[in-house]
Amino acid sequence: MPNPPAERSRPVDPPFSPILLAGLALAPVPPRLLQPLFDAALNVVRRRHPDILDRLSDYPDAVIGIEPVDLPFVLLFEPRPDRPVLTVLRDFSGVRLSAVVRGPLAMLFALGEGRLDGDAAFFSRQLVIEGDTEVILALRNAVDGAGIDLEADFRATLGPIARPLIEAARVGGHLFRRLSRDMSLIRQALIGPALKSADAQSARINDLERDVAAMRRSLRAREQRS
Amino acid sequence: MTALSRPVELVCPAGTPAALRAAIDAGADSVYLGFRDETNARNFPGLNFNREELAAGVDYAHGHGAKVLLAINTFPRAGQPEAWHKAVDDAARLKVDAIIVADLGLCDYAARKHPDLRLHLSVQASASSAEAIRFYHRAFNIRRAVLPRVLTVQEIAALCADVPIEMEVFIFGGLCVMAEGRCALSSYATGKSPNMNGACSPASHVRYIEKGDKVESQLGGFTINTFGAGEPAGYPTLCKGRFETNGRLSYLFEEPTSLNTFAILPDLIAAGVTAFKIEGRQRGRAYVANVVTAFRQTVDAIGRGEAPPVFDLDGITEGGRQTAGAYERNWR
Repeated sequence: MPNPPAERSRPVDPPFSPILLAGLALAPVPPRLLQPLFDAALNVVRRRHPDILDRLSDYPDAVIGIEPVDLPFVLLFEPRPDRPVLTVLRDFSGVRLSAVVRGPLAMLFALGEGRLDGDAAFFSRQLVIEGDTEVILALRNAVDGAGIDLEADFRATLGPIARPLIEAARVGGHLFRRLSRDMSLIRQALIGPALKSADAQSARINDLERDVAAMRRSLRAREQRS
Repeated sequence: MTALSRPVELVCPAGTPAALRAAIDAGADSVYLGFRDETNARNFPGLNFNREELAAGVDYAHGHGAKVLLAINTFPRAGQPEAWHKAVDDAARLKVDAIIVADLGLCDYAARKHPDLRLHLSVQASASSAEAIRFYHRAFNIRRAVLPRVLTVQEIAALCADVPIEMEVFIFGGLCVMAEGRCALSSYATGKSPNMNGACSPASHVRYIEKGDKVESQLGGFTINTFGAGEPAGYPTLCKGRFETNGRLSYLFEEPTSLNTFAILPDLIAAGVTAFKIEGRQRGRAYVANVVTAFRQTVDAIGRGEAPPVFDLDGITEGGRQTAGAYERNWR
């Protein structure tokens, strides 16, 4: 397959969100310090959702890149049946990828939990896939089919300490939504006038395109008559 | 509006166990699904059910008063019908409520080996005339036909009046405008037959290539479309490709769009249709939950003689567009 570009391209613009700010704060953190977190997450997947790896068993040698466009690191998932690996890296430099999926972190989480339809995200161009489409589709179907519920996974994994952590996560979620709204307001204030101007220009271009199309039709009709 | 005298069955897609539960929880009367192999027309990577998952799915559905319809609707390879026969045998053993079949030989096998197993005729059989449907009923005791998406509401009403079995029609989702079960466009581009291998435009032959602000979709090395900046994308199916002919770039057959019949559901009910089918076994459970919820509430409102609620499903449609397709034939 044509290998997707290893260098870090950003065909999806990162949304102006608290995650983007958190990502900037995380930028100095070496990825290897985050690795234990992802090892633990993969262990939960293996224990709680073995059907994911079962549905990916036709792709034991795949190397799947997952790029949250609003964070300063990327993930590599290798669904080897005997020893799957989830590695956190700064970027894909030097990695031969089978395929890569790119999107904002919140969208990738929503896809993982089945709260968002992957095809719809792709149709709307908010999610970008490159490389071996079959591998990406298998991953999407495997994850979606597992019926992942992160809260239930937390409860089952953390036992008695899950409850205070989930409560803390709820408070954090509330603050996150509040901050997202505030940042959206700031964004609107900053770029609103420019957007209005761009909309007006776009409308004028649409008018011109319609005029050109009509002229082309008229020209073709005249050529056919002569 | 007046209330309906008979309920209409809502037949919903289930590509995975999670989607099955989502469909049933959202109000599906029936779910349709397939085994994880080439015996069904949605043989996509990572999708479908193994035997254990189907058994659990049947339990879940029956426990919630819903039915399970198993699609075994591809055409067996010549001289190698074993996988298809085993699928029929397992369907009977696992007590699905019906199987959806297209191949004449498989219809015959199922009718002879499992006379108590209810048979539905798949859209893949492309049976669109009363003569064809009556033949399937007479020869194999087919109890329901899923109609191709090429008929008008008037033609469907005429069929319903003229045949002794139930009619099922698509009401939402991907729109195949070809003679289903006979289309070879995808085979030409990929060497794999949708009708025998079970996937139109198989993902193994699909590539999306980012080119600046544009994305180019390819199938088997052929460029099918190029979507501009911000333009909603679609699947790279040949029948929905944008090609240049006579110096003009256009969609030759159909645009990337989804079928949506919200506006004509009462007409389809009045035509005598028994079951409404939602396309999309290849879609995620979020799609299933959203679409089934919308149509459950709409069908129920129509059933009560009330004005149906308004749902916006633009965000989950292919190409961001919707059409009533051949049911209305607005292009004529």
